[in-house]
Amino acid sequence: MLTYAIRRLLQLPIVLFVVSVVIVGLLQFLPPSSRAAAYVKSEQQLAHLDEIIKQYNLDAPFYVQYWTWLKNALHGNLGFSRVDKKPVLESIATRLPVSAELVLYAFLPTLLFSIWLGTLAAIHRDKFLDQLIRVMAVIFWSLPTFVLGIALVAVVYGYFKLFGIGRLPPELYIQLSQQEAAGQFHFYTGLLTLDGLLNGRLDVTLAALKHLVLPTITLVLVLGAQIVRVMRSSMLDELGKDYVRTARAKGLPEKVVYYKHARRNALIPVITLAGLMFAFMLNGVVITETIFNLPGLGQWAANAALQLDQPSILGFALFTAFIVALANIAVDLLYALVDPRIRYE
Amino acid sequence: MAEATLLKPKRESFWRSRVWKRFRRNPLAIVGASIVLFFMLVAIFAPALTADRLGRNCLRDLGVSRTEAVKVLRNPLNPKFWQATLHPPPSCYKIPRKGYSPIPKPPSKKYPLGISGGGYDILYGLVWGSRSAFYVGILVISVALLIGIVIGGLTGYLGGWVDNTLMRFTDAVYAFPGLVLVMVAVTIFGRSLTVIMLAIAIVSWPTYARMLRGNILKVKAQDFVDAARALGAPPLRIFFKHVLPNSIGPLIILASLDIGSIVLSVAALSFLGLGPEVGFADWGQMVNFARRWIVGPPGEPLKYWYTWVWPGLAIALFVLGWNLLGDAVRDALDPRS
Repeated sequence: MLTYAIRRLLQLPIVLFVVSVVIVGLLQFLPPSSRAAAYVKSEQQLAHLDEIIKQYNLDAPFYVQYWTWLKNALHGNLGFSRVDKKPVLESIATRLPVSAELVLYAFLPTLLFSIWLGTLAAIHRDKFLDQLIRVMAVIFWSLPTFVLGIALVAVVYGYFKLFGIGRLPPELYIQLSQQEAAGQFHFYTGLLTLDGLLNGRLDVTLAALKHLVLPTITLVLVLGAQIVRVMRSSMLDELGKDYVRTARAKGLPEKVVYYKHARRNALIPVITLAGLMFAFMLNGVVITETIFNLPGLGQWAANAALQLDQPSILGFALFTAFIVALANIAVDLLYALVDPRIRYE
Repeated sequence: MAEATLLKPKRESFWRSRVWKRFRRNPLAIVGASIVLFFMLVAIFAPALTADRLGRNCLRDLGVSRTEAVKVLRNPLNPKFWQATLHPPPSCYKIPRKGYSPIPKPPSKKYPLGISGGGYDILYGLVWGSRSAFYVGILVISVALLIGIVIGGLTGYLGGWVDNTLMRFTDAVYAFPGLVLVMVAVTIFGRSLTVIMLAIAIVSWPTYARMLRGNILKVKAQDFVDAARALGAPPLRIFFKHVLPNSIGPLIILASLDIGSIVLSVAALSFLGLGPEVGFADWGQMVNFARRWIVGPPGEPLKYWYTWVWPGLAIALFVLGWNLLGDAVRDALDPRS
C-alpha cells in the first residue's frame, strides 16, 4: 500500500510534464511578441520586447523554448500576472486560501448530505419520499450555478439583508490590514475563519463565516444533486444483490441490512465521483467566486481569461492539473481502504 | 439461396416496444419532452414570434420592410416566412437595441418582459436565444460525437497497445475540468463562438469514446460476429457491417440528450463574458447584462428582477427539460429497471 502510494506520487511530475508540454505547445500559436508579454512587468519593459524574447528564447525551436520555460518554472518563475500585477506564483499563493476555505466548507457537507439523501431515496424506492428527492435532485442538477448564485444574492442578500458578499465587511478588512501592519493580527493560514480563532478574534471568524454561507450553499446544492443521483442508483444496485437477500433471510434487522451491508458497498462509485467532484469544484469556484466577489483562484482565472492574461490562465491550468492528479491518487488509495478486495502491489 | 426460403425476423414496431411503453408511463418523461418540444417550437418559429420587433439589419437582410413584417412573416403561405424560418440571416441573432441607456426598463406593453441594461429587448433575446441554444447544442454534440466515434472505434477495433494509449489519453481529458481548458483556449485563440464551441467539443468527447468502446467490446463477443467470421468475412467488413451498426445506436440517442448540459456550459462561459460577441442572442450573456442590476437601489432591492429572472429561468428550464428527457430515456433503455 505504502509503496503503491509512493509510486503514484512519483507519477505526479509526469502528469505535470505532459500538461505543461501541451500548454507551452498551444502557446506556439501566438507570435513571439505576445508570448514575451507574459514576462513583462511594467510599461517601460514593453519597449524592450526583443530583449525578453532573446532572454527567454521565445523565437527558438519548440524544445529550446520548453527547456527555458521549464528552467524558469522550476525556479518559481511562471511569468507575471497582469490581472494581479504580481508574479503568477505569488498570486496563486495569496488566492489559494480563499478558494480552499470555500471548498473546505462546501465539500464535506455536500458529501454527507447527499449520501444521506441518496440512501434515503433508495430505501424508500418509488414512495413519495423517493419521488420528492429525485425531483429535487434533477431540478438542482439542472439549475446553472450562476443562476442559483444570482438568485441567492438578489433575494437572500438583497431583499432579506442576510449574510454577505465578499470575504469580510470592508471596514473590518481595512482594520485587519492595519492591525497586521502593526503586528497585532497575523495571517497564519490565510483561512480567515481559522486565523480569527488563532488570533483570539471571534468577531473575524464569525464575520468570515457569515460571508461564506451563500457561496457554500450554492456549491452544495448544485454539486450535491449529482451525488444524490449516483448514490441512489448505486444503493439500488446493491439492494438487488444476493447478499442482501441472504442478510434478510438470516433475520437481520432492516437497519443493519441497509447501513452495514448495502450502503458500504454502494459507497464505492460515490468515492470516484467525489474525487472527480473535488477537482470539478475548481470549475464551480470560478463562477461562485465571480458572483460572490471572493478574491480566490476562480475569480482570478475568470478575470484573467477576460483580459487575455495568458500567464495567469496557464498557471491556473497547471495548478488545476496538479489538484486533479492528486485527487485521482487519493481516490485510488481510498478504494483500497473501503474495499478490502482491492490490493495494490 | 433462393430469396423465398430466407426467414427474416419480424421487426418489432417501435410504438409497441417495451421501451416506448416504459417511457410513456413515466410522468417525468412527459414533462421533459413537453419542455423540450416547447423550446423547439419557439426556436423554429422565432422569426414569426418576433416579427413585430425584428432589428433593422435583420429586416434588411430578409428584404422585408418594417410595416409589412408582421403580415409577411406570420403568413405561412408567403415564401419569406419559410426563408426566415429555415435560414434566417445571421443579423437576426443580434438583439435589437432600444436606445443605449445602461439602466433597465420595466416590462411595458410593447416590451412585455422589459428591457435589459444597454437597451436589449429581453423577449427578443429569449426567443432567439432558444434558437441559438439548439444551434450551439447540436453543432457541439455532432463534433464531439465525431471525435468520440473515431477514437472509440479505433480503440475498440484495434485493441492492444493502441487501445491502451488512446484510453489513457481519453481518461486524462475526461478527468480535466472542462471549463479550465476552454478558458485556456479562449486566452490563446481569442474570444469567439467558434473557439468556444470547438473547445467544448474537445473536452466532451471522452464520454462517447468510452461508451462506444464498451459497446464494441460487448458486440464483438456475440455469436453473430463469430458466425460472420466463420463465413469468411474480412475483419473490416465485420467491423463496419456488423459490429459498428450494432454498437452505435444507443450512443447517438444518449449523446443527443446531452444538448442540455452543452448549452449549460456555453451559458456559463457567456455569463463570465467569454462567450459570443456582445449582443448575440444568448441566455448566458443576458444574465451577464443583468450582473450590475442584481441588487437594486436601496429601498427597492428587487427593482430590476426581470433582467435576470427571465433569462435565468429560460436556461434552467431548457436544461431541466433535457435532463428529465435524458433520465427517462436511459431508464427506458435499461432493461434492469
